[in-house]
Amino acid sequence: MKYETVIGLEVHVELATNSKIFCSCSAHSYGADPNEHVCPACCGMPGMLPVVNKRVVDFGMKAGLMLNCDINRTTTFDKKSYYYPDLPAAYQTTQWFAPVAVNGTVEIETSNGRKSVRIKQIHMEEDAGKLVHDIREDTTHVDFNRTSVPLIEIVSQPDLSSAEEVEAYLERLKNLLRYAKVAECEMAHGTMRCDVNLSVRPEGTDILGVRTEMKNMNSIEAIKRAIEYEVARHIDAIENGTEVLVQETRRWDDIKGKSYAMRTKETAGDYRYFPDPNVMPVVIDDEWFNAIKETLPEFPEVKRARYAEEFGLSEYDADQLSKSIALCECFEGAVSVCKNAKDAANWMISEVMSILNARKMTYDMLNIDGKALGEIILLVSEGKVGRANGKKILAAMFDDETIEPAKYAEENGLVMSNDTGLIEATAKAAVAADPKAVSDFKGGKEKALMSLFGRCMKELKGNCDPQVLRKILIDEINKQ
Amino acid sequence: MDRETLRKLEMLNQLSLTDEQKDEVTAFFAKRDAELEIINRIDTENVERMVHVMPIMTVVREDTVNQPFTREALQQGAPETDEGYWCVPRVME
Amino acid sequence: MKIYNAKNEAASGKLVVADDMLLTKDMPTTAGSKMLEGYMSLFDAEALTRLYAAGYGLCGKASVGEFAIDLVGETAFDGENERDGKLVYAPAESIKNGEAIAAVCLDVNGSVRRGAAQSGLVSIKPTYGTVSRYGTIPVACSGETVSVLAANAKDCREILDVISGHDDKDGTSLSDDLCKKLKKDADRAEIKKVAFFKEMTDGLDEAVIDKMNAFRAKLSENGIEVCEIEDGVIAASRVAWNILMSAELCNNVSRYDGVKYGYRTENFNNLDTLYTNSRTEAFGDLLKTAILFGSETLSTDNYMKVYDKALRTRRVIADAFSKIFEEYDAVLLPACSKMAYTPSDVKEDKYISYHENFYTAPASITGLPAVVAEGVQLVGRAFSENALLDLIEKEEK
Repeated sequence: MKYETVIGLEVHVELATNSKIFCSCSAHSYGADPNEHVCPACCGMPGMLPVVNKRVVDFGMKAGLMLNCDINRTTTFDKKSYYYPDLPAAYQTTQWFAPVAVNGTVEIETSNGRKSVRIKQIHMEEDAGKLVHDIREDTTHVDFNRTSVPLIEIVSQPDLSSAEEVEAYLERLKNLLRYAKVAECEMAHGTMRCDVNLSVRPEGTDILGVRTEMKNMNSIEAIKRAIEYEVARHIDAIENGTEVLVQETRRWDDIKGKSYAMRTKETAGDYRYFPDPNVMPVVIDDEWFNAIKETLPEFPEVKRARYAEEFGLSEYDADQLSKSIALCECFEGAVSVCKNAKDAANWMISEVMSILNARKMTYDMLNIDGKALGEIILLVSEGKVGRANGKKILAAMFDDETIEPAKYAEENGLVMSNDTGLIEATAKAAVAADPKAVSDFKGGKEKALMSLFGRCMKELKGNCDPQVLRKILIDEINKQ
Repeated sequence: MDRETLRKLEMLNQLSLTDEQKDEVTAFFAKRDAELEIINRIDTENVERMVHVMPIMTVVREDTVNQPFTREALQQGAPETDEGYWCVPRVME
Repeated sequence: MKIYNAKNEAASGKLVVADDMLLTKDMPTTAGSKMLEGYMSLFDAEALTRLYAAGYGLCGKASVGEFAIDLVGETAFDGENERDGKLVYAPAESIKNGEAIAAVCLDVNGSVRRGAAQSGLVSIKPTYGTVSRYGTIPVACSGETVSVLAANAKDCREILDVISGHDDKDGTSLSDDLCKKLKKDADRAEIKKVAFFKEMTDGLDEAVIDKMNAFRAKLSENGIEVCEIEDGVIAASRVAWNILMSAELCNNVSRYDGVKYGYRTENFNNLDTLYTNSRTEAFGDLLKTAILFGSETLSTDNYMKVYDKALRTRRVIADAFSKIFEEYDAVLLPACSKMAYTPSDVKEDKYISYHENFYTAPASITGLPAVVAEGVQLVGRAFSENALLDLIEKEEK
């Protein structure tokens, strides 16, 4: 029998705010010393009261709008109770009854074509702390830095049917949320986490299979492996009766390549949700709503189309640039200065992106100011700086964001020379030093010119118009 | 409230009652169940729930960082800490 | 009862006492629970901060019953709350013996009002949201209110004026603008007509009936009309409040687990026994029962038929008060069923405060202001605390 897989995802995304959701501690827990960003509220002490961080609501709304959701203009917070050492107050404040956004869609594209994945809801909530198990054998160490860092949980409908679709969906989510600048979405940093709800059923039926939930996948690759493993396990259980499938939460072990049922308490899942009396309803009035709507970025495909149409970029170039909002911003900044989109796109794709790749940086880590890139492009196109030296300035800017291209060129001897006397002298010396190349060139070997050309360029530190040098060199050779 | 339900309720709330307390709690629950009748007589059809007694909405705060408390102060009364962490007996995941 | 030594000097020479539900930096805050024995807060309750700023000092902390849900403090883990065979309310003691001019207390389940009535003092529970709850031990956050206890209405008002007003550290604190708007004419409007319900005066002790009658007579003497009216729902406040209070309490006290601060059992071999034994050893019987009851009201099976029902009932009760206030300016209620509790009252029924709050629950569940004086209670319109205090001041003369 053929089977089809039914997958729904719960994706937690850490919002890129400065402070936590209900208290004023720093939300940047990644890499901090243990319990450095903690206050009485987020370590579970009594007496402090939650006050909602506006930017969390801003970002929740933005995420909702990016995912085509309806925004609940009155959105409320609820308490979810359970005991675990990473939850210092023994409750998590989340949204159960009226989440910020509902009923959205995310469009994905895979080898099977386009598909629309429905979003059930997006809710805002606080993250839990971190447990460290490897300091002492008998003890678990508890760090509350991450406690109360704002999250959104994006709950999809069970509309996905393969690991490939899940990957496309997650990549799309990442892209959209990064476009809106609400989140980093880096699975390796834990700023994006994904639980997979999965069941299988005979193809073409609407039977409800036994659903399992898988946790602890730390990369998209791990999620794909976990899905493939779990699908095989389900089918094996159904076909061969190797085990009885039960609705449960399973932990993925990426090293062993297996999922294991998590040991849970008898009372697990009894969360006793109720409305938080200490957080009044958040009412999003028209002014607030419209202000957020105005800050929404163009969707990637809108940008792509605009780049092709407005700037005349090739489909490939437009597609490459629209992969990341950071690339788009750098590109658009460069165009605003150099006024030449094709040049700017060329620099972005052949220079900027290759430096990023060489440095193993993601596109979103791009820290180059687009306007500065535009200045480099201008310097090169106006013949003030050689292209190779332009690249040198660009590379230097990756290490020091404060570099001003013109000033840097000046200070580091990267300015093109207009001194034809110097070029002629250099050419003359080169020709004198390599009579073989001269005779080869004269004998019809065009390539021989290149070695002379290279020698001169090196001598001149690249600060010379290649056309001018070429002409002078040929003149010099012909004089011989 | 039967003993099995009560056992789960204790477990859920990390409490462990003596037999005598269990009897008392069971009697308490029986009274509360009977009292439910008093509010069940009240017609709440088409009545909106009232979580907050004041008809106000939340006042949000700006996204700024302010951390006036030190870790040392926060951990002063802690039963067990180590290297800046709070400690619990090892939990398995 | 336990009163810690004062550390704060008062610029004005005036000292207040705080009950042990208000957090203090300089002395322990225990909420009457062994769980928080010796607990030192890193910050002061906002009400106290405002009093300090206004030149008042703190003479000490008065003990409370465990998380302030009992009658008058009898469940305090470290307290002596009996004298001459009667239960005494600790905050009232320091006023009566002249140590403090007033007490600032968290009214969770009416103990402040019962304590005021039984000790012959005056208390004012202001409208919910007018006094910041920042720095109070959270129990039943949707209804508990920082209240003032003093020898007379004037002293109550003096302290209330200092501690009232918006606080942006409390998300339920009303903005001053909104307060002004909502206050409209409730504040300072004279109380001319008072209602009382026959249903809520049944089963009272002779002494309480005497107090009620005396107060009614006094009102009449002062030209205030007192009318008996029918009530369909306000008497149900207690049942709904017990549900809401217990559920919120269950959630709020779940943070006490022997890990971050406070009591930790010596008897554990894993996380589960650490949690369970710490809580089991540190919490008293009433609190344990309240936790279990509150938890059960929120369980999946009960949420709609118990908790949600209580939330809807709360609105019906609030609406009933609004209706009454269209015609009357205040509702006269007892504050307690007898003028003194004995230890045997509690011995006979550990959960007596779940009945005795019959009289205090209406103002708790609705957030309405309530004044207690001369052994009785008056519940007024939202924001009418000044009008209520005016009336008492007039009666005092």
